[in-house]
Amino acid sequence: MMEWAKESLRNLESSRPARLNQPAPLPDSNEADALLKQYHPDYLGHERQVTVGLNAGGQKFPLELAQLLEGDSPIEPDYSPSSEIETDVLIIGGGGAGAAAALTLEGSGLTVHLATKLRLGDSNTVMAEGGIQSALGPDDSPRRHFADALVGGHGDNDPDLLRILCEQGPESIRWLSQLGCLFDQNEDGKFRLRGGGGTSVPRVLACRDYTGLEIMRVLKDAVRLTRTQILEEHVAMELVDDGKGRVTGAILFNRSAGRPVCVSARAVILATGGSGQIRLQGFPTSNHVGATGDGLVLAYRQGCRLIDLDSYQYHPSGACYPEALAGQLVTEAIRSIGAQVVNAEGVHFIDEMAYRDVLAGAIIKEIAEGRGVKTPHGKSGVWLDTPMIDLKKGAGTLAGQFPGLIHRFERYDIDPAKTPILIYPTLHYQNGGIRVDSECRTDVAGLWAAGEVTGGLHGKNRLMGNSLLDITVFGRRSAQSVLDNIPERGAVTLTNLQQFRVDRKKIEDKTISPKFFPEASGMKLNAAKGEEKQEKKTTSADFEPPNPFNF
Amino acid sequence: MTDKTVEIKISGKTIQARAGETLVHALWAAGMAESVKTGCAGGVCGACTVTLRYSDGRTGGTELACMKPVEAGMEVFPCPVEADVSVAPVAEPELSHLQLAFPTLNRCTKCGSCTTACPMSIPVMDSVLRMQKGEFQAVAEDFTTCIHCGLCRFVCEDKVKPHNMGLWIRRSLGMSQDIAIEKTDANAEQEWQYLLDKDRAQRLQRARQFRQSGRIEP
Repeated sequence: MMEWAKESLRNLESSRPARLNQPAPLPDSNEADALLKQYHPDYLGHERQVTVGLNAGGQKFPLELAQLLEGDSPIEPDYSPSSEIETDVLIIGGGGAGAAAALTLEGSGLTVHLATKLRLGDSNTVMAEGGIQSALGPDDSPRRHFADALVGGHGDNDPDLLRILCEQGPESIRWLSQLGCLFDQNEDGKFRLRGGGGTSVPRVLACRDYTGLEIMRVLKDAVRLTRTQILEEHVAMELVDDGKGRVTGAILFNRSAGRPVCVSARAVILATGGSGQIRLQGFPTSNHVGATGDGLVLAYRQGCRLIDLDSYQYHPSGACYPEALAGQLVTEAIRSIGAQVVNAEGVHFIDEMAYRDVLAGAIIKEIAEGRGVKTPHGKSGVWLDTPMIDLKKGAGTLAGQFPGLIHRFERYDIDPAKTPILIYPTLHYQNGGIRVDSECRTDVAGLWAAGEVTGGLHGKNRLMGNSLLDITVFGRRSAQSVLDNIPERGAVTLTNLQQFRVDRKKIEDKTISPKFFPEASGMKLNAAKGEEKQEKKTTSADFEPPNPFNF
Repeated sequence: MTDKTVEIKISGKTIQARAGETLVHALWAAGMAESVKTGCAGGVCGACTVTLRYSDGRTGGTELACMKPVEAGMEVFPCPVEADVSVAPVAEPELSHLQLAFPTLNRCTKCGSCTTACPMSIPVMDSVLRMQKGEFQAVAEDFTTCIHCGLCRFVCEDKVKPHNMGLWIRRSLGMSQDIAIEKTDANAEQEWQYLLDKDRAQRLQRARQFRQSGRIEP
């Protein structure tokens, strides 16, 4: 097993007794800054300004994203929108924020449609592992939560949004519990609270290492019991406006019918999530298949301002081996209860609870300076010493608290309770996004936004457990704001898009955006068309029907 | 074909795949992404259910395409499972409530297909037997890792719906919890004023101090 790593594994095991109860140094602020500037992918100059739209000439964007923001719409120039579905509220996005919004609108008397390009619940929410923050501990308060998150975000967080997040933490846990979420408890019946990177007291609630799954499956089930009309496999292609700047609906591509459908809505809530699948600088990602930043592109064309998108979160512990798991998340909670990060020489080179961006930079540095472990696939990583957890906390702790980790690795004959796992930073979270006010309103009337698609809340670095809280708090809040301020129905036109198209005449790039699906998947908007194409590619078709008795 | 390539079949069509990659990535590379639904490609959304068999006679079964590495001689058949209608949970659930919500509960013939089909290694059939006895806490624990792919329901001859019942029980127990969240916040307003300083640098400095003790230090 892992013969190729024999030497570094020996180093790791021989240094383990000395490391066991010995913390590694936490970088001071100068060292942290140096690590970020030299090694963190955000700081390597792989970015540029855009030349089209409201942000032209302003804050820079990663190159891959800049190209999408300047891109042209897939809407045919002669397409004329005419409403086929009329609804009061259109929610775009089927993850946690969209579902929380739908639940909040139930019983209001408004008609609600929720569109998602995949299925309800297929999202980054469902993949979140480690937990959700809420100031419930004895020495804790929403103010302390605020202070931790602000320092973690390098002071760039929008203080008003952050205050709302932290103040709403306890109430959000109550709301989720009432819906039926089961968070892990201690023997005394109180919620088990763990630390996370940058929390000054234990504050992270979890459901094993499936916290996002627990929240998403409950929200999904609850939404299915409402009158919300769920439009699965409906891809948001473009937003429509009333000709006077207000958003009044969207053009969705119905993948099964193979054609666009125009929705007229009095209010639109964008909850389209993140963009890890645009694979900045070729990094692996922990994000779901649909995380291609579509909402950023659509909102930008309407005249929304985007903020802090020069900042992405590279989660320090993405799996690096086996190859099939590359980029998948290994939750921070594993580090928070005692697994150390160790280089090929067996050196515990940094405190594993350093801020995510700093730790990611430190790991990349180890590899750059030749202290990484190279896999047979040519990737490099450092060790996460998972067997330490059972040594520190008793046999069976890892398997009991992290069944997801064990389950994923066991099919490759790796038992993380006995063998350390190899990690490398993975593109995990879009720190910036659409600018919103404290009521989740964007710069454009008629358009609200919530969750990962928004920017400002997390500053330049998000703490563990604040995104599941974000989608809960602001998913609900966006819906409440829509309820309080819902406009009358307006005309559906493509005026804003036409203006954007005039503006982009000055560039020659022919990119069509959003991307909708990962480049590597080859998936197209029109599923039927995609299949025609692959028919031509396939030559052999020696099909025989499956034998139903031979499972 | 080198040792780095394996040949697999998807719905009867032969494709070449790179050894070590998952079925989903093999399908992407072959331009056949649409043949199996995908959601998360990380083993937790349950979209990419497939059935497998092997040309050499090894036992196949059900799998998640995103988690299953390709193997030579593998034959893959898409097996999408539609979501079932949800049933509203109830607080303080009892066996009679479950029976009412899921009338097929007692039809289980203990064939074990559901346990075999589960890609998460949940002891599904044993858990159905626990449901029949009203052992809800144990059932909630069993279904902690359920991704609701629906395969246990899909393979059941007798229309038992194990995962739907598992979620119903978990939500019902969750709703029954008494979550008293009370906080004495006498200093709250003062602390917010301190932390929400208008000056960015001052705000950050104060946050640095405040997080040390959770209080405004004189």
